[in-house]
Amino acid sequence: MKSDSLVADIALLVTLGVALGVGYNALGLRGADGWGLAWKGVPLIETLGDEVKAVEQDAAPRGPVSDDPLAPPPAATQAIPVIEDYGRPVEIGLQAVKQLYDAGAVLFIDAREDWEFAEGHIPGAINLPYEQAITDPARCEQVEQGGKPIVTYCGGGSCEISISVAWELLGVGKTRVAVYMGGFPEWEQAGFPVEKKTEDS
Amino acid sequence: MDKLAHPGLVRIAGIVIGLVFVFAGLGKIGDIAMFAAQVHNFRLTPVALENLVAMTLPWVELVAGTALILGARRRAAAWICAALMIVFTLSVGQAAARGLDFECGCFGKGDASRVGLQKLFENIGLTVVALVATLQRRR
Repeated sequence: MKSDSLVADIALLVTLGVALGVGYNALGLRGADGWGLAWKGVPLIETLGDEVKAVEQDAAPRGPVSDDPLAPPPAATQAIPVIEDYGRPVEIGLQAVKQLYDAGAVLFIDAREDWEFAEGHIPGAINLPYEQAITDPARCEQVEQGGKPIVTYCGGGSCEISISVAWELLGVGKTRVAVYMGGFPEWEQAGFPVEKKTEDS
Repeated sequence: MDKLAHPGLVRIAGIVIGLVFVFAGLGKIGDIAMFAAQVHNFRLTPVALENLVAMTLPWVELVAGTALILGARRRAAAWICAALMIVFTLSVGQAAARGLDFECGCFGKGDASRVGLQKLFENIGLTVVALVATLQRRR
């Protein structure tokens, strides 16, 4: 009997707490700053896919990407995806990634282990293994963004370490960080350039 | 055990742990977004559930803590606190074991304490206090 009422009391208190929490959230916390306030899961990243906001070549220069002196002038009709400062990582798809790559307007960060990096990576990418990024913030701070947006990637599939690394980078003050979820496997399969074993970090 | 179950001691343990939980709950409620990010840091909850945990957990803490201080449904509240303390201790332990280093968010905003051994021992201590608060002298 005694334990029955104990269990009932526990259920009562927990239910009360949960109800208050949900109620309080319903009353107005949603939409406040930060990424954590929607009811159902917060997707870690928002998908920009290939529909990334694009700047037409003849449009007025806008955003840091088009200011990049290293970027070769894009072909007449080609648009360069713009990764703005969203305060959180955004996802971009293969096509947008390739456009940024072609324009030289992006810094790739490879979140995989160093041996995987050595076996092949997107040319020009910097290797910042996940384990190092989350245990040693200094490694993230050392990343020289050079005015470009950052695109992190890893081994594709359900590999989430590129997202975690993106958050770490934002955490140390980097901005305009995107995640390429297709990762190296998709890039390689698409027949795009691959670089091997360049020491770069 | 009977000595530990001394009503005065149990009551004091309840008030201490109740105050800790009320402060911890209020601190988190003050900045839910930050707490949600900290829940994420522990990497224990499925991403889809992180927000629900962040929005409800502090309130459960607050309710249980308040009940303990007031002495209403005292044993139930104490068991909730004890169970939560065990969960928190395991969370901190696994994070420390994985070498994760981040603010634990245990008391919400402004609590800069980081996950680590010290936090682990604090939590173990609080767990013991919470367990004492659950005691009841046999009649």
